[in-house]
Amino acid sequence: MRESSSTPAATIALVGNPNSGKTTVFNALTGLRHRIGNYPGVTVERREGRLLLDDQRAWAILDLPGTYSLLANSPDERITTEILLGQTPHTPRPAMTICVVDARALERSLYLVSQLIDQQLPLLLALNMMDNARREGIRINARSLSHELGIPVIPMVASRGEGIRELRQALRNGPPPTLPPLEWRLPEPVRREWEELSAMLREHHQLAPPVASHEAMVLLSRPRPESGDDRRFAPVILQHLAKDHQKLDFLGYDRQVMMLEARQEWSRALAARVSSRSAAGGTPSLSDRLDRVLTHRVWGFVIFLGVMGLLFQAIFSWAEIPMDLIGRLFDQVGHLIVGVMGPGDLRDLLVDGALAGVAAVVMFLPQIVFLFLFLGLLEETGYMARAAFIMDRPMRRIGLNGKSFIPLLSSFACAIPGIMATRTMENSRDRIATMLVAPFMSCSARLPVYALLIGTTIPAISVFGILSLPALTLFGMYLLGIGAAVLVSWIFSKTALRRTTPVFLMEMPPYRLPSIRSVLAQTGERAWVFLRRAGTVILGASIILWFLATYPKSDAGTPSEKLQQSFAGRAGRAIEPVIAPLGFDWKIRIGLISSLLQREMFVSTMGTIYNVQTNDDGGTVSLRERMQNDTRAGTGERLFTPLRGICLMIYYVLAMQCLSTVAVMRRETNGWKWPLIQILLMTALAYGVTFVVYQGALRLGLGGP
Amino acid sequence: MTPAATVPLSEAPLGRRVRIHRLSASPEVSRRLRELGLCEHAIVSCLLKGHGNIICAVQNTRIGIDRGLARTIVVSAAE
Repeated sequence: MRESSSTPAATIALVGNPNSGKTTVFNALTGLRHRIGNYPGVTVERREGRLLLDDQRAWAILDLPGTYSLLANSPDERITTEILLGQTPHTPRPAMTICVVDARALERSLYLVSQLIDQQLPLLLALNMMDNARREGIRINARSLSHELGIPVIPMVASRGEGIRELRQALRNGPPPTLPPLEWRLPEPVRREWEELSAMLREHHQLAPPVASHEAMVLLSRPRPESGDDRRFAPVILQHLAKDHQKLDFLGYDRQVMMLEARQEWSRALAARVSSRSAAGGTPSLSDRLDRVLTHRVWGFVIFLGVMGLLFQAIFSWAEIPMDLIGRLFDQVGHLIVGVMGPGDLRDLLVDGALAGVAAVVMFLPQIVFLFLFLGLLEETGYMARAAFIMDRPMRRIGLNGKSFIPLLSSFACAIPGIMATRTMENSRDRIATMLVAPFMSCSARLPVYALLIGTTIPAISVFGILSLPALTLFGMYLLGIGAAVLVSWIFSKTALRRTTPVFLMEMPPYRLPSIRSVLAQTGERAWVFLRRAGTVILGASIILWFLATYPKSDAGTPSEKLQQSFAGRAGRAIEPVIAPLGFDWKIRIGLISSLLQREMFVSTMGTIYNVQTNDDGGTVSLRERMQNDTRAGTGERLFTPLRGICLMIYYVLAMQCLSTVAVMRRETNGWKWPLIQILLMTALAYGVTFVVYQGALRLGLGGP
Repeated sequence: MTPAATVPLSEAPLGRRVRIHRLSASPEVSRRLRELGLCEHAIVSCLLKGHGNIICAVQNTRIGIDRGLARTIVVSAAE
């Protein structure tokens, strides 16, 4: 995580098919010295690490999104192509490239390798998972593969660290400066047109030779000569292209597959030359046997529900113990500060503003950790792909598909990684539909809000002896979000996003034991991002809120009256006419305003407000109790009745209330149209449903304490 | 070579090795299929069917596809 002060190092890029163990190689090479960020302009996660070779040269290593081809079309895969071709601003073309190949899928991977070699990228080949290949009776002669390709080939088992030393050695030696041209053969007329077009692109657009030939190939293989991005090319190129298309079509070439077929022909022949497979024993592999159970029509579903149940159990019940500890720790710190410092504005700012606000959010770290731990384990073991497989059919009924499942499951952690996870979806209609409903999944930022409100307003009564009312309420909130997502996506699939034939096409990686190290590393990264946010944005916002809730100071009156006189109190009153029919008073309204930034701010706002209000000898009374004891002046009616608590939660389930999600939506959809639709839709739904529930319940006489 | 009887992959018997004859999905989808190894002449076998989908084996890897898509992949018996 340490930043180096030296000049930016040259870059090594890691590429490979999904599930080739690319990230394991990355972790093995970098240890834990890496960070995640974003590529400028897009939210594709950029995983970058540092590598110090024995000769003290420092390199930056980029873990690029997995891809099967440089011609692929999902946003994720396009990033890989653009980086490798040096088309991304601020990211120079990598000085070296490591292509990670799953040894069992050599033939398929050679397709990508051939594209990389054609790009004249300085290349090393990491032949990973050799142990699995051996177990399946596959033998690969790495030396002759290396000889045929003209690049170093390093056999390895990255998960056990085997071959990492050799890979580092190979990196230090550097790849051969120039690569011999590959012997994959295009039919003569096609090759001629390709070379001609490449030459024109070099001349008219000053493209580097490998980039020009890549672009020429893309242009020749596309269905029609004209396309959306024509402005990139000079008219003379497009005219020439139209003629090329005509000619090749007339000669009877299937332009869209000719390049691919030629490369695959080459891959097949090469794979046959360098590898052999002993007669496959009749016994199906362990993965196949597991699949028979885990994707079984009945058992598959039962196990799936069990796994999901375990996930939620971990988040909502196991996480409570560490959460409690963190809460107590912050209390202690508060007492300590109160004991050391004399009373005054500075102490109030520290304890009531900064500490209370940050504590309210950091409390939820254990839940975040459990969630990402689970998601990481599911991904690593290979079960995630099966969950998508099982969920495909039910998801289709509501206008989504199996591939939407992973983004939506991640959205229970946070809609942002969820929305980013849709980048692996090639179909833009499916992708937008998934992004639209992702924020309805109750994210971990809502959890603090639910937890506080349930603890405050829902009595701990047990139902049918085994279930508790608070737990049921929480479950209900999750169901409400899912229900809203189902409804919205179903409506959209019948209207604005009418479906074309949906397609499910996904590799099912072999089951394997998860690498605990890399799961922990990933979870650590996420936890760090969360904590950093608590330490920066939320800390800052808490201090501002404390200020708004404290000033201008009025000397007279009860603490409550003072608060009403403050800036925050006035703002809360300003939106009263709109929000009053939902039953929310001015303190809740302050919470709603502050949590526009992010939802968990509601909790820290309550923390700040109630600390400000009972500004006495430190916080021994919990926030929960303070809120429960809050009554309306005059009538003595409790503010946080069960009805108000439920209405507030319903509002939080359905409302957008998250600026970061809006920003991500805008970037991912390249415009304001979808984020605006999403905001309008969610706000209308949140307001409407809350209004109906609150007013309906009042009419039915259910508004009591 | 006698023209072998062809069936969609969705109808292929479980466990039987078949050869892909033709892909008739849209160009975009067909390209994806090919990149995953499901190209013309490739040998595949259906491992299991369930939940409206199919898992098939091609070149030591397992690919999950929906049955609608499997209907667009025309196969014939291998060998």
